[in-house]
Amino acid sequence: MVYDLIVIGGGPAGYLGAERAGHAGLNTLLIEKRALGGVCLNEGCIPSKSLLYSAKMYDNARFSEKYGVFSENVTLDHKKVIERKNKVVKTLVSGVKAQLKRNNVTVVEGIGEIMGRNAEGYEVKVGGEIFTAKNLLIATGSMPILPPIPGVKEGIEKGFVLTNREILDLNEIPKSLVIVGGGVIGLEMASYFNSAGSKVTIIEMLDKIAGNNDREISELLMKAYQKKGIIFNLSSKVVEIKEGQVIYEHNGERLAVEADKVLMSIGRRPVVDGFGLDKIGVEIERGRIKTDERGRTNVPGVYAAGDVNGVSMLAHTAYREAEVCVNNMLGKKDIMRYNAIPYVIYTNPEVAGVGETEESAKQKGMEVEVSTISMRYSGRFLAENEGGDGICKILVDKKYRRLVGLHMIGNYSSEIIYGAAAMIEMELRVDDIKEIVFPHPTVSEIIREGIFQF
Amino acid sequence: MATPVIMPRQGQTVESCIISKWHKKKGDRVKAGDLLLTYETDKASFDEEAKVDGVILDIFFEEGEDVPVLTTICVIGEEGEDVSQFDPRNSGGAGGSTEPEAEKSKAENVSSGDVTAGDDDKAADEKAVVPENIPDGERIKISPRARNLADKIGIDYRYAQPTGPYGRIIERDIELLAEKGPAFTFAAKGESMKPGTEIYAEGTGIGGRIRISDLEKGKEAQSQMAAQVPASQVTVPAGAAGEEPEFTEVKLTNIRKVIAKAMHNSLSTTAQLTLHTTFDATEILEYRNRVKENKDKLGLQNITINDIILFAVSRTLLMHKELNSYFMDDKMLIFNNVHLGVAVDTERGLMVPTIFYANKKSLNEISAEIKKLAEECQKGTINPDMLKGGTFTVTNLGMLDIESFTPVLNPPQSGILGVNTIVQRVKKVGDEYVYYPAMGLSLTFDHRAVDGAPAARFLKDLKTNLENFSLLLAK
Repeated sequence: MVYDLIVIGGGPAGYLGAERAGHAGLNTLLIEKRALGGVCLNEGCIPSKSLLYSAKMYDNARFSEKYGVFSENVTLDHKKVIERKNKVVKTLVSGVKAQLKRNNVTVVEGIGEIMGRNAEGYEVKVGGEIFTAKNLLIATGSMPILPPIPGVKEGIEKGFVLTNREILDLNEIPKSLVIVGGGVIGLEMASYFNSAGSKVTIIEMLDKIAGNNDREISELLMKAYQKKGIIFNLSSKVVEIKEGQVIYEHNGERLAVEADKVLMSIGRRPVVDGFGLDKIGVEIERGRIKTDERGRTNVPGVYAAGDVNGVSMLAHTAYREAEVCVNNMLGKKDIMRYNAIPYVIYTNPEVAGVGETEESAKQKGMEVEVSTISMRYSGRFLAENEGGDGICKILVDKKYRRLVGLHMIGNYSSEIIYGAAAMIEMELRVDDIKEIVFPHPTVSEIIREGIFQF
Repeated sequence: MATPVIMPRQGQTVESCIISKWHKKKGDRVKAGDLLLTYETDKASFDEEAKVDGVILDIFFEEGEDVPVLTTICVIGEEGEDVSQFDPRNSGGAGGSTEPEAEKSKAENVSSGDVTAGDDDKAADEKAVVPENIPDGERIKISPRARNLADKIGIDYRYAQPTGPYGRIIERDIELLAEKGPAFTFAAKGESMKPGTEIYAEGTGIGGRIRISDLEKGKEAQSQMAAQVPASQVTVPAGAAGEEPEFTEVKLTNIRKVIAKAMHNSLSTTAQLTLHTTFDATEILEYRNRVKENKDKLGLQNITINDIILFAVSRTLLMHKELNSYFMDDKMLIFNNVHLGVAVDTERGLMVPTIFYANKKSLNEISAEIKKLAEECQKGTINPDMLKGGTFTVTNLGMLDIESFTPVLNPPQSGILGVNTIVQRVKKVGDEYVYYPAMGLSLTFDHRAVDGAPAARFLKDLKTNLENFSLLLAK
């Protein structure tokens, strides 16, 4: 039989794309080589959140005196934490499986390989069997970048150097953990292992952590973590990894830091090799599948969504990209927009933002006005964050007076930020937002406070 | 002393004019009588001259902007003089002069039951009448109900497709627009209300909304187009090298847009058909020659055949008043006087000035008046009030050798007479066949208003009157 759609990869882009396609009546087949849910569900977003929540509970208990609550003999049992994490993952993976079934998606386990084209469509081989479909959705995701630094390969083999996959299954807390790369994954793992008792050192090549994030907020986050005992070595380049040691260069100086374990989290790269994209001539550009705003590759009927297109590399971006692809397959016009994609770092305090930063606006030549206010303007924030602080930064473009960016550090940011994303999508202007009623008392009110600064 | 130049008021019903061209720029020295700018209403264009000597100190509106009448558009004075008090965009500046006008025009509209785009905004904005409130050069006809609905649901009614009588936007058009029409993001909507925002790329925002970047793309495309052919606004699509281009794209002028809308409206909303006949033009030709020979002596106009027909129509119509009428769906307005619209071909397009009370004017008066009106139409200096109010229209293609045609009604008028060329025909007089000059008449009428036989009877009476013109003159 000929499928309407074969999806290669069962991560957020793949499973959601398959669900939506199945729901719309397309005869859909999904191929996954490892575990449904992909990196996000199995070794990324979800398991890390499970760990971080345990760390948060632990910290809340340990440091509860300032709220008038006293607790003794508080301990963190890492094994139990991992067990719980595995339970959460299992529940969610079976949830995805059930969703796919409900939407009549056929799931095949194994490695899918594109064989070519025939009169009826594209041929994909899984195991010994060949499946044919009119459309393909490539959702093969990404994998950690492992730099050609001496000792990395050996370290991985020995289990001394870890990626996001292995670190989530460590049986015990390492005494010292060196994290190479101060991006989202590095920071979240630093947060957990710091709380759990490791001595954590972050080595970052750039002069700031948290990637393209707002600089001021990155610095606040770094300060908060320095207070908790995490060591940051910025503008530093790892040059060698030895047993129990990471060698790095800073200002031309060669330095060493001791490590029981090393986490490599310098970034991820799209998976584009080894499954036959070349056989149908899909264009690869700088290591990623090139797609247009509708998720189409250069080959008719072949779409790509998620990390494999190398644009945003976030699960929620992947969801939306997959929907755009499926809508276009169904003949519905839909366009992928990237200007209002929120990001969250689930550290404690949380960081979240959406849209332009001052730096990105400057690069685009967009003139912006900025309002920055303390989170302590929010009554609820003050009530629940003894001694804590944070900021909310709002960017408005001068020309149209519409919201173009909003960045915040402080807990609950993760749950608030979608509101700002919706405002950016609708291009709400300062005066429009002023008419929105926010629930009181909530931390979200900080947006309203900030907007009235304009 | 600095002297403000205001946008002149062209007729009682014109509320704003579009600046089509500035002939001078800021800083230019001008003398009284120098051409300052050309501006247009939806029907005609006009030139404005400097009335004083001096330097143009500031220009407040650009080409293409729609400016309320009586608003200060530029200031002439001597260098160094402060002009800020004249800037209509400063609140209070021009407010003094424009505000009462805006209120007045609103009052006029309310009384006539016709709402024109922008009026409410004008009245609501107490500070000053800023041109941003007037979206386009064209008057947009919208029923009060539809307008209320549009306001209520916050929709830009300029995008509605009018399906009401006489091209009016009615409630259902707004409902359809709300359902299917272009939606905007908040910032894009604000931006789209500004003048000059006309070309849109497709919406790429949430739910297919038009967002700022789409408007910017549209503007970019527009300016690129303009950059390629700055003068003529004409784009020539690229053909293969050395070949003639496939077609030339020409942007519609306001007048063309109005004609297009009116013609389509006419054919889509009436039940019109045309009757053709000919009459023996011997007598009117002789009469015309007689006048020609004696006009200097008697101080008469150079009376043309067309003038004679206008005169005959103005007299014959009153015997067939059902054709001198407006058909208004549920009622008819039967006019007791003949206000004769006369089609005039101009470089800008078709224009139809009106000879009011033609039935009370002599042949000589009609002849003089139509000459004057036609000349003003050609020059584009016609008062827009003279381009409306007709109760019946005459259009003449005879000079272009047309033997018969189907004129298009000008609703709500019920009739229009086409005048054709003269051909030689043969008729039998006694036993002999004689040649005579036969002139064609083509009467289009609205069958909703008039049946075939009465229309034919009008044509027959007109024919009789023209064939016995001296008798008609004697009446």
